[in-house]
Amino acid sequence: MSAVTTRSGATVPTKRTFSFGRWFHATGWRHLVGLVLIVFSLFPLLYVLSASLNPVGSLTGSNALFSNIGFGAYERLFNDPSQPFGAWFINTMVIAFVTAVLTVFMGALAAYSFSRMRFAGRRFGLMTIVLVQMFPQLLAVVAIFLLMNTISDWFPAIGINTHIGVIMVYLGGALGVNTYLMYGFFNTVPKDIDEAAKIDGASHARIFFTIILRLVAPILAVVGLLSFITTTNEFVVASIVLIDPEKQTLAVGLYKLISNPNYADWGAFSAGAIIAALPVTILFLFLQKYIVGGLTAGAVK
Amino acid sequence: MTVKSRSILAAGAIATTAVLGLVGCSGGSGADDSGDTTKLTVWVDAERVDALKGVAASYKEKTGITVDLVSKANADIKDDFTQQAPTGKGPDIVMGAHDWLGELVSNGIVAPIELADKQDEFLEVAYEAATYEGQQYLLPYGVENIALLRNADLVPNPVATYDQMIAAGTFVVESDGQGLANPYHLYPFQTSFGAPVFGSDDEGYDTSDLQIGSDGGYAFADWLATQGKNGTGVIDTELTGDIAKEQFTSGAAAFWLTGPWNVGAAMEAGINVAVDVIPTPGPEAAQPFAGVKGFLLNEQSKNKVAANDFLVNYLGTVEVQNALFDSGNVLPALTESAEYASSDPIVAGFRAVGAEAVPMPASPAMGAVWEFWGQAEGAILNGDDPTTTWEKLVADIQAALDK
Amino acid sequence: MTPTNTDPEVVVSPRQKKAARLAEAASGGLKIILLKIVLLGIVDAIAVYALFVLVLKDEWLVAAIVAVVTLVVNWIYFSHRAIPAKYLTPGLIFLLIFQVFVIAYTGYIGFTNYGTGHNSDKDQAVQALMSSARERVPDSVTYRVTVVESLEGLGLLVTDPDGEVSVGTATSPLTEVDNAEIDSNVAVSVPGYTSLSFQDVLQRQGEVFDLEVPVSDDPNDGVLRTGDGSSANIYLSSLIYDEQADTMTDAETGVVYSDSGTGAFTSESGEELLPGWRITVGFDNFARAFGEESIRGPLINVTIWTIMFALLSVASTFLLGMFLAIVFNDKRMKGRKFYRIIMILPYAFPAFLSALVWAGMLNERFGFVNEVLFGGADIPWLTDPVLAKISILVVNLWLGFPYMFLVATGALQSISDDVVEAATVDGAKPWQVFRLIKLPLVLVTMAPILISSFAFNFNNFNLIYMLTGGGPRDTSAGINVGATDILISMVYKVAFTGQFRDYGLASAFTIIIFILVAVIAVVSFRKTKMLEDLN
Repeated sequence: MSAVTTRSGATVPTKRTFSFGRWFHATGWRHLVGLVLIVFSLFPLLYVLSASLNPVGSLTGSNALFSNIGFGAYERLFNDPSQPFGAWFINTMVIAFVTAVLTVFMGALAAYSFSRMRFAGRRFGLMTIVLVQMFPQLLAVVAIFLLMNTISDWFPAIGINTHIGVIMVYLGGALGVNTYLMYGFFNTVPKDIDEAAKIDGASHARIFFTIILRLVAPILAVVGLLSFITTTNEFVVASIVLIDPEKQTLAVGLYKLISNPNYADWGAFSAGAIIAALPVTILFLFLQKYIVGGLTAGAVK
Repeated sequence: MTVKSRSILAAGAIATTAVLGLVGCSGGSGADDSGDTTKLTVWVDAERVDALKGVAASYKEKTGITVDLVSKANADIKDDFTQQAPTGKGPDIVMGAHDWLGELVSNGIVAPIELADKQDEFLEVAYEAATYEGQQYLLPYGVENIALLRNADLVPNPVATYDQMIAAGTFVVESDGQGLANPYHLYPFQTSFGAPVFGSDDEGYDTSDLQIGSDGGYAFADWLATQGKNGTGVIDTELTGDIAKEQFTSGAAAFWLTGPWNVGAAMEAGINVAVDVIPTPGPEAAQPFAGVKGFLLNEQSKNKVAANDFLVNYLGTVEVQNALFDSGNVLPALTESAEYASSDPIVAGFRAVGAEAVPMPASPAMGAVWEFWGQAEGAILNGDDPTTTWEKLVADIQAALDK
Repeated sequence: MTPTNTDPEVVVSPRQKKAARLAEAASGGLKIILLKIVLLGIVDAIAVYALFVLVLKDEWLVAAIVAVVTLVVNWIYFSHRAIPAKYLTPGLIFLLIFQVFVIAYTGYIGFTNYGTGHNSDKDQAVQALMSSARERVPDSVTYRVTVVESLEGLGLLVTDPDGEVSVGTATSPLTEVDNAEIDSNVAVSVPGYTSLSFQDVLQRQGEVFDLEVPVSDDPNDGVLRTGDGSSANIYLSSLIYDEQADTMTDAETGVVYSDSGTGAFTSESGEELLPGWRITVGFDNFARAFGEESIRGPLINVTIWTIMFALLSVASTFLLGMFLAIVFNDKRMKGRKFYRIIMILPYAFPAFLSALVWAGMLNERFGFVNEVLFGGADIPWLTDPVLAKISILVVNLWLGFPYMFLVATGALQSISDDVVEAATVDGAKPWQVFRLIKLPLVLVTMAPILISSFAFNFNNFNLIYMLTGGGPRDTSAGINVGATDILISMVYKVAFTGQFRDYGLASAFTIIIFILVAVIAVVSFRKTKMLEDLN
């Protein structure tokens, strides 16, 4: 950082020359924090990257990172017919995307009613949806299998071994703490916006779909991203419901590579995990402008 | 009253849509095709699916029965089977290890398999392992045990005793880390002091006869203390499987006590691997545990005749076990196929060690042993008093068994 | 009302307003109503189809529930009341089926003896006992058989190793025949019986598998059974099941095992035959949960650590996440996008993989941290009780701060710049702005996240299990429990040690833990309600 470009790009010579002290005080120290954080965040992941390139295929056996470089693990990942990595990837994206969108939609609907309407059982309801998610899931597999199995008996199209089935189970959590988070954010949108729209004759649905949703875009993006990441990494439900390898998700498929300690292929697993983390990163890039774009200025006219 | 008329209109519209939708749905629901073909569903460890694909295809050719291989994560296969078998939704056949038998039989979810006079065609250890309380439940297909891998470039000739070995080069054996030893890998040393876990009678293991606390057990504990932190430091609780692998494949270690599953990695790393008998620190023979892999029949299966035919008359034949060996490289359980596989010096080496191997106890009582075993061995390695630690181990196991 | 010639902006009559509103509703409303009709139509079509299927399968109760729910949904979306319900229903339906049911069912398991040895119902237990009790007569030969059928039902055409041929059915014992057709030393058919091909056998597998042909009139000679339709052996059963009396009798010792209500056939002396079956056992599991000697000892310490771990994890991740959100929320700073991406990565990777990597890095003698960062020191990161706790917290901070960072970044957006600017103009320092304005506002939005994060960490089984396995072990305790064990991991060890899996006990514990967490959460909510009312 040796020069400061003025935002307007004007040719007017500025009197203030660049001063390191001032720069540091304003933004420089932030870069320092950033650097420390990069080291903290990335360090363990370098291990994963190194393992994915290491032909021996051990995860933490060596501290000599990147001592051997080879792309064998990536080749194994893509060329083994019994591990349809491409199918896992697509399945995961589809399931995670659909789940995230529907979760945001249903959650926002509920958050709107909690935030803008007063009805009996509102407090209790708010508390309950959060409490329900606090249930320790250690044994949930037994009940989930039984439930999905029963659904399968009646409607095979949405039961065991279907993507719709998995998505439905995930949507059970659509009304949860994320709804509460959105509710908190909805509350910060001034009520007089609704009132003004009501006076203009807009119905509650119209206010919600055309005005409110735009104003709360940051939190919708955050919840969408959280839901997407959670779904991508979810393992237990996916492994119970999805049986055919072609239908499985990345988490389940990759886990199979290392579930037997004697035959664990950490190289391929690490390679898969790195590739699996890419969509999340790209999605975050894409959503960032919504998350930090700030409120639509001048909503209150 | 606009509202009313609108509602009626809407209701009409909904009914129409519903009917149309229903027609669409009913068109889509195909009839349940109860075809003439029998289908066997077989759950298989993910890393074994490839080896079985050819076998499944040729069986279909022979009998017309489709074998549907479902790849499952090795860590979940037993629990998933236990949960799903009673619902009638489980697989017909599941791949499993013989030491699951205690639990699966107690749950009543596996049916006996009749090997009848074929039993003599299997390796003795495989047949023993397939039998639980006098009944056979497992069609064995592979036998695994650990042996000593030697880097022949570093140490050209086999060593006779444990002390010679650690003098000749670096020896690694994996532990569980975090202060825990790995009893499975240390078991050959323990048995060389004449201290098996349980005594045995002609029915197999006698779980009421805890041998771990015999004099040999204490001798083993004393020896273990000399190999830990306060002794040679050769056996290290923090040396995990990953690290052991790294040490041997990089050429830092000359000896590695491990199973056939790691030979591939060592060879790929360019190590000149030789397989030796496990050198003993104690007076008796080192008896590693043998793990027998095989197939189990679901008690709730609707296709028991087909499943039996597939297991006994097909998977139990020499051609198939040879083919499985060719694609999977595990020592076959059938004696004739084991001979065939022994042309490979690595397999022959493991088999030679396996001649002394004993099946891992399948009784649920074994759970009580595993619970305390590695912890006690780790504590001794890290400097606790061997006698008192071992005493406590025996007492803890006994208390858990008596529960 | 007479229209006035004044400025129309000043006075708008109510009627005009109403007219305008009607026009408005009509134009935009018609599309919405059409959409609503189509959507509801689809829902109803699916419901009707579902009813159709359920009625065909005789599932009347479920069908009734579906019908009622469908009617309620239709009423909700057509009535002009129940506006909140319009917004809550979609999520609520999923919540009830996939969360509330799962919780209720787990609760129910807590009142049963479900676990190893009691895994299914009584019929299956009887079936399994009988099938394990069938023992091949020692040293008896294997016979080659052909499955045949006569008016009596299925039978076996048997060729013994000497070439003698006999035939029998379930009701008539084996009798020798000499007019059978032999093909490669095996009798394949005999007059009076139809032979079944292998495909025919497969079509009737169940019957064939269960077929027992008595060897002679004396039941003690055993029965002939075939497993694969081509070979048969002689079996005797070591158990005799008396359906009338509902007892099992050991054929050798004569001991009678009866169903005494304990979920297994039990002898006079209390010996049980396994497998048993699932029964409800009332509050037995809860009594055991509170009475289990081995648990009571370490329980206090484990509970304290669980609460500490959850609290410290929430506090540390929140503080770091919040701090970073503010640091990187400065519009003047370049490269914010890049930093943010890097910080999301720990959260984007599968947590258990990260936990394993950390376990390797923290290895006492070979780990990167000791070997490289500390120049070969032997710091027992995971094997010393105190350090292991610290390590757990650091790793959890690494795993959890991106989440908090994301949420805090979102929450910061709800603070309008005007407020901050106004405060700055009034001469507030950045720290004061943060402490007095930003933090309270963000806390209001994030309070539920913090509470649920607490609950999540309270039950963060995976991290503990992957990183330390609960260790280092407390060697003085009678069970496998360690310094970093939290309640849920301790329960897991108690209920699932070795080969005995006790789902009933584990479920009872789960319910107890849930109640504990719920109480803490409800109390916290009451506290945050005050925060909310400030808003």
